[in-house]
Amino acid sequence: MRILIVDDESLNRFLLSHMLEEAGYNDCYEAESGHEALRLAERIKPDLVLLDVVMDDMDGFEVAPKLKQLAGDIYLPIIFITALDDQESLARCLEVGGDDFASKPFDKMILTAKIRAHARTRLLSKKASEQNQELVYYRNAVEREHAIVEHIFKNALTISQSVSHFFDYRLAPASSFNGDLFLIEPSPTGGIYFLMGDFTGHGLASAIGALPVTRAFQAMSEKGISVSEMASTINNTLLKLLPGDMFFASVIVEIGNSGTQFNIWHGGMPDMLLVAPDGQIRKRFESMHMALGILEADEFEDDVEHFEGEFGDRLVGYSDGVVELTNAQEKMLGEEALVKWITSQPDINVQALEQKIDKFRGTAEQLDDITLVSYTCQSLDSLKSNHAVCLVPFDITVDLDAELLKTIDPIHELIIMVSSQNGMQGIRSDFSTVLSELYNNALDHGLLQLDSAMKKSTDGFFEYFEARLEKLAQLHDGNISIHVSYEPDSKTLELTVSDSGPGFDVANLCKTKETDSFGRGILLVKELCQNVTYTDGGSTAKVSFTI
Amino acid sequence: MSLEKELSADGKTLTIFMDEKFDFGKVQDFRMAYGSDSGEVTSINIDLSKTEYMDSSALGMLLNMQKSMSSTVSSFSICNCRPQVAKILKISRFDKKFDIS
Repeated sequence: MRILIVDDESLNRFLLSHMLEEAGYNDCYEAESGHEALRLAERIKPDLVLLDVVMDDMDGFEVAPKLKQLAGDIYLPIIFITALDDQESLARCLEVGGDDFASKPFDKMILTAKIRAHARTRLLSKKASEQNQELVYYRNAVEREHAIVEHIFKNALTISQSVSHFFDYRLAPASSFNGDLFLIEPSPTGGIYFLMGDFTGHGLASAIGALPVTRAFQAMSEKGISVSEMASTINNTLLKLLPGDMFFASVIVEIGNSGTQFNIWHGGMPDMLLVAPDGQIRKRFESMHMALGILEADEFEDDVEHFEGEFGDRLVGYSDGVVELTNAQEKMLGEEALVKWITSQPDINVQALEQKIDKFRGTAEQLDDITLVSYTCQSLDSLKSNHAVCLVPFDITVDLDAELLKTIDPIHELIIMVSSQNGMQGIRSDFSTVLSELYNNALDHGLLQLDSAMKKSTDGFFEYFEARLEKLAQLHDGNISIHVSYEPDSKTLELTVSDSGPGFDVANLCKTKETDSFGRGILLVKELCQNVTYTDGGSTAKVSFTI
Repeated sequence: MSLEKELSADGKTLTIFMDEKFDFGKVQDFRMAYGSDSGEVTSINIDLSKTEYMDSSALGMLLNMQKSMSSTVSSFSICNCRPQVAKILKISRFDKKFDIS
């Protein structure tokens, strides 16, 4: 406790410092004038000042406010020492900033009691000031951290620009971080994936889960992984990451490259609606599952709903922040009202919907994050040109003799070779099916001379399989040649499969009955690619794909 | 490598999970999957969520399964098809014989 004694009478100073020493205050300083008091105070930073009123150079009334100013925010008790006893003077002591007064001659007990009382207040003030500083520090630190996180989020939660124009959407977080998440990515087969979800709560805590979900979704979209596998992968990731009371309601949708097919995994979000242009609800996609991040891997269900819409249909999705929005009269918007807006004005855009929502909310505060998403079924052909297409012409020729035919299956390797070229991912599936058909025809019928009619009966189906194995093992002569040729100018990929067998009567391709377990191959091939031709008496098949 | 399958708790629904490719190479695995311990099964569900492509022999295998099991199994369904696979099932009019979702 450092005390500054200010008095121009040396006797008074001596008496005071002696008295304080006796009371245990050993850290005392003396000043004999107002100016000295200010100089000293600046240097020693006293905890309490005993201040004489009447001094020559500058009286106590003038010194007090200056001392207070020096002390800044922390309470510096000033006790006036005065021989004056008129009420006016005593009142003035307090008015100019003094905190107390003690009359001469001093009463030791009263004075030390006053010093102790003011020391307590000073201690409190010091603590408060320290805490204030800490608070300011923390607030700055939090603000800085938020700025960093915001930066990361802004860079991580990007929506793929190549497909975003197919969507009309709005995200309105309740605070600076969004617990709602909306992601769109093109699929390698020329369709689109999108994910719309809602983490428990809102703000930073709920937004943090968005990072791993986004990374996983983007990586899986690039690989063209199925919606059900996406759902279970994200579920497992979140299960490990999120605390038990947090989860992620979401819808994951794959739009096929026709622009009208939907595969939807729906867990815990409000219904999604497919609305026909006339306002009729063509299909309501209801939640089929629990939200992600709850069920253990072995309990998790990855069932997906499949639906085919028509051009012009609109798929509309929204988060529960929309329907649970409450206005100043504490009335909830509700799903019915929202659906009515959409069905009564089927071409209403998301911006207009948002205006209606804002109007409903009025002056009430927005308590939860809001997401509105709309996709109108349309041709996605323009996506195809977005993919970089291989500019280099190439030829792949694979000649397989009897030995190789027995030991390897060339289909898988060829699919990888072809589909790993730029722009070829889109035909991967069709190419795979067609190649498999043509190769198996060449092998089974061309070289091994198996008769599909065997497959007519259930047992025959397996006999056929065994006969195939047996005949293949005995094969000595014969070969199959596969030739893939790509022409970048016309973006045409030609596939030729020929065998050394005797061929078959192309004109007499048998008509297949629906119940037959065979004979669908060539039909399928004709649907999946173009310019199907047979030459060399049926032993060479040639087809083409447009990239 | 045998195919993954799952029997419901009441033993009545069998789900068979096909992997990436569904073609003639799967003929035995597939038969094993539906042919063994399926005594009480009344519905069979083929999950194609992982299947990237199938060919006509896969279609044949599906029909063959239906034929050989139809005395005890009343419902056959195919679920979680990727768009490309759904296209093949559609071209082949499989929606007439199977519940496709």
